[in-house]
Amino acid sequence: MLVLSGGHAGAASKDSASKQSCAACHSEFSSLLPKAHPPVTGKDVTACTKCHAPDKEAKAKPKPYAARLHLSHAQPGAEVDCLACHTWKPGKTLGVKGTKANLGVLSKEGMEETKKIFASWSSSKYLDAHHGKKNVTCSACHEGKVPEQGDSVENARCLACHGDEEKLAKKTEPKDFPDRNPHKSHLGTVNCTVCHGAHKASKIYCLDCHKNFNMKIPFGEGPQAKPAAGGKAK
Amino acid sequence: MEKDGKNKSSSATETKKEGLAMNRRDLLKTSLGIGAVAAAGAFGFHLTGSKAEAAPLRQLPKKWDEEIDVVIVGSGFAGLAAAAEAAAAGAKAVILEKMPTYGGNSIINGGVYASWDDEYHLRQKLNLGNDSVEQHKADTLKGGDFYGIPDLVEILAKGATPALNWMIKDGGLKIRQTVTRAGGHTAYRTHTCVEGVGRGYTEAIKKIAEGKGAKVRLGTEVTWIWRKDVNSPVAGVEVKTPKGKKNIKIKKALILASGGFSRDIKMRAAFNPGIVPEFNCTNHPGATGEMLRFAQSIGADSLQLAFIQLYPFAEPETGILDTPAVYPFNGVGYGLVYVSKKGKRFVNELERRDVCSFAQIKLGDKPTYSIFNEQMVTKMGGTKEEVEKGIKKGRFIKAATIAELAGKLKMPADVLQDTIKKHNQYIKDGKDPEYNKPMTKSMILLEEGPFYGIAQWPAVHHTMGGLRINKDAQVIDIWGAPIPRLYAAGEVTGGIHGSNRLGSNAIPDCIVFGRIAGANAAKEK
Repeated sequence: MLVLSGGHAGAASKDSASKQSCAACHSEFSSLLPKAHPPVTGKDVTACTKCHAPDKEAKAKPKPYAARLHLSHAQPGAEVDCLACHTWKPGKTLGVKGTKANLGVLSKEGMEETKKIFASWSSSKYLDAHHGKKNVTCSACHEGKVPEQGDSVENARCLACHGDEEKLAKKTEPKDFPDRNPHKSHLGTVNCTVCHGAHKASKIYCLDCHKNFNMKIPFGEGPQAKPAAGGKAK
Repeated sequence: MEKDGKNKSSSATETKKEGLAMNRRDLLKTSLGIGAVAAAGAFGFHLTGSKAEAAPLRQLPKKWDEEIDVVIVGSGFAGLAAAAEAAAAGAKAVILEKMPTYGGNSIINGGVYASWDDEYHLRQKLNLGNDSVEQHKADTLKGGDFYGIPDLVEILAKGATPALNWMIKDGGLKIRQTVTRAGGHTAYRTHTCVEGVGRGYTEAIKKIAEGKGAKVRLGTEVTWIWRKDVNSPVAGVEVKTPKGKKNIKIKKALILASGGFSRDIKMRAAFNPGIVPEFNCTNHPGATGEMLRFAQSIGADSLQLAFIQLYPFAEPETGILDTPAVYPFNGVGYGLVYVSKKGKRFVNELERRDVCSFAQIKLGDKPTYSIFNEQMVTKMGGTKEEVEKGIKKGRFIKAATIAELAGKLKMPADVLQDTIKKHNQYIKDGKDPEYNKPMTKSMILLEEGPFYGIAQWPAVHHTMGGLRINKDAQVIDIWGAPIPRLYAAGEVTGGIHGSNRLGSNAIPDCIVFGRIAGANAAKEK
């Protein structure tokens, strides 16, 4: 999983922050854990990593453990230094304390970018936050790599959860004009990311030309905005 | 042209440099937003200073991020065809496409393809008269007022049929089993793919190209062409990718297949002030002509940039060329009639696009209408399903009688009835005394319903002018010599369609010259 923190905690606190342990804030864990969770003792993330091994398969599916940890510690105003849980050699390796896992390469610039993305992931009006709330973490879309700026997501990765193109097309087929279907475009197969922006507002590409079409998109802005369906991906 | 150019290019290099500087200056005067180009600098030469101005504004990159045999700019008909042939000849071919989707204008094009013959010999089978390469060439030259370069037009006419069959055989292209006679053509030679839009062809060529190993990179915009000086080959391109700027070295050749500039309102008005900003446009938003300007800035010659075509039958409100908007173009050979809002004919329907467009604009009363009946639909390459869909969207208006249709189109019934009655008589007589339309035996009387009407109005569609190329699709510089390793094909080139492109000549133009460019690019050492 990706690491991140609110880096703007300031230089003064940097050293001490990286030595942060869970115990500094949490005197005990039982109140934080799901009801059926066995008791946990310890002072840092190694208490968890004994059971929760870093996910190396990076399948496109919800991962509640990683999602909850990041959502609670990476949101604006509650930033905890990434290095409280992660090990990091800038430009070389990124790992998780108490494990030998190498999650990938993260440069200094990449770290800053990742922190921004995480802030957005936990609180934005975009698809990233929607996925976050559904426990879908970065690697579910980004295939287990530490994402870099400009990375895109392949259609297959989206379709792994959201069904095949035929099904999607059926779902969005307008009743009045069945062939004005964004998922059955006259442009052939279109990359999902052309319209659906994970870290920015989604935007209907059709409307660039078909200005008089009445279309809406979840996580869009202005007149294109459509309330999120909120349904579960299958 | 080439001979002339060679003489000039044999003069001293100094003169060449002076010439370029002068030419660029003149260009700057006549064009508009070219400020962007000037600011970035024409390859070797300062444009604004005096004699000691041969200082490069932009140095070639010291380091290249990547090397590619053949780089193609644009993923429409021409670019895909070039990539297919270059890859087939063993070159590593990569298409750079600035838009997030492939296909440019081609994938939304009307899907009509002029070819004197085809795999199935449809014209002969359907008994629709004679045709030949010579006749296609003659029509194309005449349709462009003889501004087209005959050698290039001949290549188009000759290559159209093999290219069509290539897509059918290797790319799985399916065409409708009919041919139509379209405005400006003297023969039934216009083919339509089953999809009824250009996607039918782009998918077929893409399949061939990718099958041979060519790649398409979307969202990758060329921002500069690298060339050291006027005697050097093209060295590479600078590109903007989602991951930042990158310089790509070209090992064999660069092929420009980037389309026209109909969507650049300032640029089109700079060359032709009559193409006013208020006109709608049929093109995709990316048709903005910057590659043409980059090519000019490294010394490429261009011609006939003032010749800009309107599509006479676009959807009046948005300017979109949707499937119904192709019917008015395809139907005239089978007796479809154009009428004004008053219910009167205003032009010889078999006239060229420029004539049909300006006849409407002259009326000054938007929109005009095409009138046809059910019998014409399949003959003109249409389908019942398309018509049904068009009716639902409010594009086609259907009525049992001409009088009822007139009512629905809010025109005087007696006038429209009279217009249609007269036109029926002209078909029977084989003679149109009003507009002198060449009536043919294939035309259908508008006697039997149901009848249909569709609203239409011109929109900016095609830029006939562009880069000067030779028969090998090499780009020619302003002294008449080919620029080494630089090729171009399709709408970015000029001198093929002259002052007016005949409908259904664009796809064969793009594909035929794209194939030539790709094959020649792969042969470069």
